[in-house]
Amino acid sequence: MNLEIRAAVARATRSVIPLWPLSSFIAVNPLGAQESEDFDQAATTRPRTAFLADYRSARITDRDLLVAARQRMPELAGAGSVCLGEREWTAAELVTTELVHADHHGTPPTPTGQPDLVDDLVSIWIAAYLDPHPLWPMPQRERGPWAAWTALVRYDPRLPAVARRRLRDLPGTPDAGLARALALLGVPAGDTETILRRETQRLPGWAAHIKWRSDRVGDIDVTSYLAIRLTLRWALDLPVLSSMATPQPESATVWDRAQALTAVLTDAPASGETLAQVARILGLHSPQAHAFTWQAAYEEHYRRQLLLSLDNTNTNTNTVKPSAQVVMCIDVRSEGIRRHLEADPTIETYGFAGFFGIPIRFAHYEARGSIDALPALLSARHSVTETTTDLPRSRRRTRALRLRDAFAAGVHASESVPAAPFALAETLGWFHGAGTLLRTLWPSAAHAVTRLHHRSTPALATRVTVADAFPLDERVALAETGLRMMGLDAFAPLIVLAAHGSTSSNNMYQSALDCGACGGNPGAANARAAAANFNDPEVRRLLADRGFSIPDTSYFVAAEHNTMSDRIDIVDQHLIPDSHTTAVQNFRGGQSVAADLLVSERAAQLPGARRHSLTRVRQRAHDWAEVYPELGLAGNSAMIIGPRDMTRGVDLQRRVFLHSYRPECDPDGSALETIMTAPLVVAQWINHQYYFSAVDQDRWGAGTKTVHNAIGTMGVLSGQTGDLQAGLPLQSIAVGDRALHEPLRLSVLIQAPLDRIGTIISRNQVLRHLFDNNWITLTARNDQTSAWFRYSAYGWTSASHLDTTP
Amino acid sequence: MDSLTKMIRIEIVIPGREAASVRDLITSAGATGYTSVSGVSGLGHHGPHSGALLFNDYDTLTMLITVLPPEKALALINALRQLLEGGPGVMFVADTYVSRPEYFA
Repeated sequence: MNLEIRAAVARATRSVIPLWPLSSFIAVNPLGAQESEDFDQAATTRPRTAFLADYRSARITDRDLLVAARQRMPELAGAGSVCLGEREWTAAELVTTELVHADHHGTPPTPTGQPDLVDDLVSIWIAAYLDPHPLWPMPQRERGPWAAWTALVRYDPRLPAVARRRLRDLPGTPDAGLARALALLGVPAGDTETILRRETQRLPGWAAHIKWRSDRVGDIDVTSYLAIRLTLRWALDLPVLSSMATPQPESATVWDRAQALTAVLTDAPASGETLAQVARILGLHSPQAHAFTWQAAYEEHYRRQLLLSLDNTNTNTNTVKPSAQVVMCIDVRSEGIRRHLEADPTIETYGFAGFFGIPIRFAHYEARGSIDALPALLSARHSVTETTTDLPRSRRRTRALRLRDAFAAGVHASESVPAAPFALAETLGWFHGAGTLLRTLWPSAAHAVTRLHHRSTPALATRVTVADAFPLDERVALAETGLRMMGLDAFAPLIVLAAHGSTSSNNMYQSALDCGACGGNPGAANARAAAANFNDPEVRRLLADRGFSIPDTSYFVAAEHNTMSDRIDIVDQHLIPDSHTTAVQNFRGGQSVAADLLVSERAAQLPGARRHSLTRVRQRAHDWAEVYPELGLAGNSAMIIGPRDMTRGVDLQRRVFLHSYRPECDPDGSALETIMTAPLVVAQWINHQYYFSAVDQDRWGAGTKTVHNAIGTMGVLSGQTGDLQAGLPLQSIAVGDRALHEPLRLSVLIQAPLDRIGTIISRNQVLRHLFDNNWITLTARNDQTSAWFRYSAYGWTSASHLDTTP
Repeated sequence: MDSLTKMIRIEIVIPGREAASVRDLITSAGATGYTSVSGVSGLGHHGPHSGALLFNDYDTLTMLITVLPPEKALALINALRQLLEGGPGVMFVADTYVSRPEYFA
């Protein structure tokens, strides 16, 4: 019986997408488990009023609506036309006219559920159990959540006495506890899964985090969580949750719709035959489809502008031999710095997932913990650390760090002793007060003090131990895959692998600004490992056998692009050979100019930064009151997979994920398959997280940062209790009522042979789901001179055909 | 075969993202171990599956194989049937024979 309940739990929570902790905040599609359904069936869009406002401002045009209607309903092409008033109206025109003039938006109302006592109690208990650094650790925590809870709950003063009595004698395992609670609540066996699903939906944030924690840490599972919930429900004499089905809005009949539309288009009364014709056409476009046709039109407008901008690129731009090649993450923020770096015609840039093909668990030299610096799609299999030859300095550094940690831990521990705060205020209060004043009034000065403080620990020259972690053949395979994926087969003297990270103060969403391909961490470790791999003579020797001859005169350096300051810092400088120091110096000079230009450009959009000097914009990183240190990936809307020639010289406004790809470097298509099944999937996750946080902040966002309370580094509550907040905070997608992010589904553009793309999609279910079910769109062309084609579940359609204006 | 002990072998092919639930059931059923093969390719009810996902364990197919005594197998089979119902994934059940039964009991 218990095993079947576990199976019911697994089924009931199948649609719950794991929620990563804040320390490694990974963007995910909150509806990822529903990608096997059509986007129209599973998702939602903006309200009609928002689309109408865009229509009035020409952000959405009649042409966009027509293209969207034809794309979504190919049958409109054969549905004929109707003569109304003084002109003939095509089926597509009738459908789009109705969109503008009638309110049949058809978006189902958001299901709402008022928190009940079980929700309140469970949030408190689970938070107490999972808090990694509580002032008072939960007794018996080591026995697991069910055992710890059953041992303590009978003393919970928030519960009535009768409930506490009921909770005295509970089974020893969560499985048995859940089975008993279901039996006592009188849940029929056939309803178990439904009831469990409803319970899970009550606190979706906690359920999602528990699912992540169950897989990655293993100290709690969903069965325990549900056992606690159902047991509390029984003890409090609360009924099992009734159906959460929400009433669907009633739609007008197709005849009502035809009459209403006819009245808009002509003053003369329409004949019964005409009305029947109109009704037949409108019947092809149900009210439930209206919202998504608006959405498609909204996206069509953007996509057409994007395609037009690419048509104007000059294919013969770069005939100069490059002095440096810079490989940056596909992150949309890289587009800006790449564009400015390329003002120097001797610099070539490439886009590649920011872990540079080296998925690692990384620990700094003598660090106590490690980070999983790899995409969330992967599990860590290789551990990499640092080594140093400067042992005396490393001993001094380790001693200094430990002393600093011990002092901080001592202060923190003393804060939790009841009487200590009084003594602490007397002794350390002055220092804290002065520090607080400094951070509030002069954030930059506070940052300077912090830097001085850190200088007390001598910098250590280390190198990553990638060769110890991976066997040689695997390192060669990873290097070859990386080169094929980014289409790099001619090598400049200097090749910069620029990972990225961000700097901000008092920002619980800091890791959301770091590299998603590196597990929500800054990516320097991966860049260092990749550079070490590419510079290894043994790897180069074997790569030459596979067709990639990296000259001895070419050297890879690791770097990190700070997306707050836009500076690119070279790391592992001590490893750079004398032969390349001049090239590195030249690159430093060039990136400094590019960084200033980009910060100036960003300041025009960054809330509150418009009149700031570059210095002041950068100082926002150290301001603990600043809720907009940078814009992150707000605005992301497209992904382009192809050579840089496609986009070089075009201002893509930091909205596009750019992954380099050249079919000639990928004879069997495996590199494109890897790009489409990994970086593209991650870009889609990011895009959908922004999309859903923007279209329904209450349901899929995290609310405003200003009332967030952190539970360790695990997550935030909005206020002091309740559900763990999922998704992005309001400040990632809007400024008050003004949107920073346009919720557009990802427009994927690929330049590669169409038959190759089609074959890859056909053999990968993840891609079939995404493209066939309209979660993202795909437009592709064979090469730079070919026409664009739009992919659908029925095959390729000429994009120019769709764009034909009637 | 006389010197061998009869056991039940259960193989499950399931999307990688759902493999954790299957592993959980296997261990809860008292199986002493399982074998996991990721990157499984083939053709199934939902169309072809490429096993060549280099940087994606999440969307790849996984095959889990476990062997356990018949008295433990039935409950696991029932639970797995329930888990797989209406979703992706297939299960194969077969008699098998092992030389060291204490490894699986």
